[in-house]
Amino acid sequence: MTVVAAYNIKGGVGKTSVSVNLAWLAADSGARVLLWDLDPQGAATYLLRIKPKVKGGGRRLVHGKSDPAALLKGTDHERLDLLPADFSYRNMDLALDATKRPTRRLARVLAPFAGEYDYVFLDCPPAISLASESVFAAAGVLLVPLIPSPLSLRTFEQLRRFVADEVPKPPRILAFFSMTDGRRRLHQDVIDELSGSDGVLRTAIPSASDVERMAVERRVLADFAPHGRAGRAYAELWEELREHIE
Amino acid sequence: MMGRATQLLLPEGLAAAAVADALAAELPIVTQRAHTIDRTFWDTFDGRLHDAGLALVAAGGRLVLADAATSAEQAAGELPRGPARLFAGGLPAGPLRDRLAPLIEMRALTPAARVRSRFLPLNVLDDVGKIVVRLRVEEPVAVFGARNAPLPSRLHVTGVLGYDRQFERVGAQLERALGLVAPARPVADDAVAADGGRVGGTSSKLRVRLESGDRADAAAVAIARRLLDVIEVNLPGTLDDVDSEFLHDLRVAVRRSRALQRELAGVFPPEPLRVFRGGFRELQAITGPTRDLDVQLLEFDELAARLPDGGDGAVAVAPLRRLLEEHLRGARATMVRELRAARTRALLDNWSAILDGLVDSDPGGRADAPRPVADVAGERIAAVHRRMVRMGRKIDDGSPAEALHDLRKKGKELRYLLEFFASLYPPEVIKPMVSSLKGLQDVLGRFQDREVQADRLRSLGDEVAALEGGAPALMAMGVLVQQLAADQAAARAEFEETFSAFSAREQRALVKQTFA
Repeated sequence: MTVVAAYNIKGGVGKTSVSVNLAWLAADSGARVLLWDLDPQGAATYLLRIKPKVKGGGRRLVHGKSDPAALLKGTDHERLDLLPADFSYRNMDLALDATKRPTRRLARVLAPFAGEYDYVFLDCPPAISLASESVFAAAGVLLVPLIPSPLSLRTFEQLRRFVADEVPKPPRILAFFSMTDGRRRLHQDVIDELSGSDGVLRTAIPSASDVERMAVERRVLADFAPHGRAGRAYAELWEELREHIE
Repeated sequence: MMGRATQLLLPEGLAAAAVADALAAELPIVTQRAHTIDRTFWDTFDGRLHDAGLALVAAGGRLVLADAATSAEQAAGELPRGPARLFAGGLPAGPLRDRLAPLIEMRALTPAARVRSRFLPLNVLDDVGKIVVRLRVEEPVAVFGARNAPLPSRLHVTGVLGYDRQFERVGAQLERALGLVAPARPVADDAVAADGGRVGGTSSKLRVRLESGDRADAAAVAIARRLLDVIEVNLPGTLDDVDSEFLHDLRVAVRRSRALQRELAGVFPPEPLRVFRGGFRELQAITGPTRDLDVQLLEFDELAARLPDGGDGAVAVAPLRRLLEEHLRGARATMVRELRAARTRALLDNWSAILDGLVDSDPGGRADAPRPVADVAGERIAAVHRRMVRMGRKIDDGSPAEALHDLRKKGKELRYLLEFFASLYPPEVIKPMVSSLKGLQDVLGRFQDREVQADRLRSLGDEVAALEGGAPALMAMGVLVQQLAADQAAARAEFEETFSAFSAREQRALVKQTFA
């Protein structure tokens, strides 16, 4: 079971979009997939038309007092299940802080699923916190969407240093450019310089209206616009990520 | 993870579109595009997967092991291309092989049924348009070569994880509105039955029910007829070398038939019986060398793994394996020729004819024929048990290996008698008796098998030495022979204790009380 966490300190960079679309594409390729929506805003849960509610809340879950299997919801894809978001996840740091070894808690929630799923995708909230550290400990791959701008790159470097210095068994960090605009010179320059370099995937996800329409359709791109620019880009990103993982 | 799943039988003549219309009136559904899937259901000849409530389905290049009743997937893998039969060892490493290997052991998987189904998916949605229950109308057709046979249509109802209430509600609505009921059996069984096959595979188990008052000759016919059936159904697979278990089951049935001929000799006319006993002895003999080599190759990996240097040991004895395989090819060719010979066919046909007419035949020389079977069976079981006790008591540390071998043979005879006549006696008597006999037979079997294995290795020494890579193989074989000798000595040391349990005063009293 490979755990892929879509993570960035910044919000609005395409974490939910990449989590939901890649989880769906992974299921489409024949894998058994779980998506855990860790963001209390519950956008991934909403896109999959599921109620953002976890019985007992996040606290009981990370304290090992809820059975995570009983909280799962099947999605419209037969091989993709969701551990939904819950508004109580906003207090995840407090819940984790009240446990022994808080950074291992998320991995322990996922441990029973080892034989059930090939991939777990984590849609993480934007922050760097105790919950993030628990994500770093649980994940095998940290998938980082980057807006192609100098400030984003600086933040990415900070993240790389933090993970290398502070995480005992650091996950592999793979970034990709997200929400790119080919008409913007700066975007293009940054992409040309870094795409395909160490830890940065070649595939970039364009800023496209199809991605915004996902919230209206409440469906993933592979379901309603697989042949659009963004739909094709996510399919390529999945293939590239899979090559790196396997 | 899978949600709950069930299947319902659709009324005959109800087309998928009509079902969709009927369901749409009851439930918020969307219909998807229909598609057709060709599936081949694989199982062993004796239906081991069927017995375990499973179905192994090949479709679209994939092989899926699923629950037979619900179709819930348990493991899946790639379908190897080409072969008409599959062994566990021939499947790619992975969860599917891990799950199948202990179930099918040495048996081959072969196609048991082919089904072409048109599926019409109908999804039940909630108020935000999310799928909460999946329905699929299946219109299956059994495919036998160029010939097809339509099978009863079914509706698959599959729940979505976390939406149990909706699954139950839809199931109740379907029963109420359309009066649908669960099918009696999976679609693969419908296909097997439509082709006139045996649903659930072909068992080699004895399964003969007798009544105490039955005439002994009628009971003998019932048992012998079943054994002859087992021989006949396993003969084609033996000749085609589908897997080693066909020959094994055929030989067990021949051995049991011989035990029956010997122990119930008094129900058969003496002269034809003498001829048939000779014929069955020969049948046993012509199949012996192939079976011995099958066993050696089946046990080869286990034996090689015992070599001290593990994996390298297996490499060292590779020339031995090649030699055994070569010997097996030769032995098999001889056996197949003999089994195809007219005299083998005549033996089985004539035995069948004798059984057909036995009860009404001349009672001369058949003193036991009209007696109640319980009397004859009881006498024979008690006599063989007494004989075993006497033989075992004579065995001490100085006895030759033959004494233990003879006792084992007698033990097999007793085991067969208990199997033939189990239905005449209370299970609480038969079971512990079989259990103590089994304990003894296991020890005697280990004693003899190790000796036989060691003898075989010794006998192949010269041939192995002459092969390329023969010297290291020969050294490895020497180590194995030593290990086998140690095992044999250990088995012999256990003999006294297991024989004491078998021949204990209470056991003997129980045998006397039940059978004498």
